[in-house]
Amino acid sequence: MDAATTPLLIIGSPDAASCDGDVCEIPERHTQAVVNRALDSDLV
Amino acid sequence: MRGEGVGVGVSTPIKVDIWSDVQCPWCYIGKRKFEAGAAQFGGEIEVEYHSFELAPDTPVDFDGTPADFLSTRKGISLDQVAMMFERVTSIAASVGLDYDYDHVHQTNTIKAHELLHFAKSKGRQLEMKERLLEAYFIKGEHVGRIDDLADIAASIGFDRAEVVAVLEAGTHLQDVKADVAKAGEYGIQGVPFFVFDGKYGVSGAQEADAFANVLTQVQTERDAN
Repeated sequence: MDAATTPLLIIGSPDAASCDGDVCEIPERHTQAVVNRALDSDLV
Repeated sequence: MRGEGVGVGVSTPIKVDIWSDVQCPWCYIGKRKFEAGAAQFGGEIEVEYHSFELAPDTPVDFDGTPADFLSTRKGISLDQVAMMFERVTSIAASVGLDYDYDHVHQTNTIKAHELLHFAKSKGRQLEMKERLLEAYFIKGEHVGRIDDLADIAASIGFDRAEVVAVLEAGTHLQDVKADVAKAGEYGIQGVPFFVFDGKYGVSGAQEADAFANVLTQVQTERDAN
């Protein structure tokens, strides 16, 4: 590690969606949350 | 929120460094959620985008669709890929983004990253970031070829000939490599990735509330010191 680079304190939800390499996964929990919001909004 | 630039006013803005790729669906969604969180926070922040290449070995003129690309890379069926795209398109729509995967051009993004650094040198990086993400996910424009990138840049007022010259010369290639190297030093493996004041790392497209909470936490710590 570069001498000027301070190690980061990682915070936030570990379930947030991201792209790792060329693969962009969608966490199941995230997908379900979207479905739930759609249900709550009477969109489904 | 402000982009690159010199801080004005009484306090120093909170610095947010964001590693991102132009063809990362969660980066655009995460950008919208971060912007919403920053609006909730309401304080002064300064945003700087950094380059991250998700698939640096992709040819500029990739012969196939994003679905073909993902199917081959992951070894999954085109039907499964279609379902993935449908889900991410639905989530994008929930933050007001109209993804159009039928017209996306899978490509190599190194020149797009160079263009982002060029825009940063002109003090217009945030504008260019938004335009490139829109070009790739919504407008079906090609973000890998120099001529297409020059057209995109010209569409928001950049000097087309200057953009072509800078991209052909690779003027900002080292800046892109430096960003990628810095990501490696931080241990960043996926994007979007947000670094707040060089201390806190936040991975992924978090909810707006989460971003607002982090910004508030950073501001509270500053105020206490």
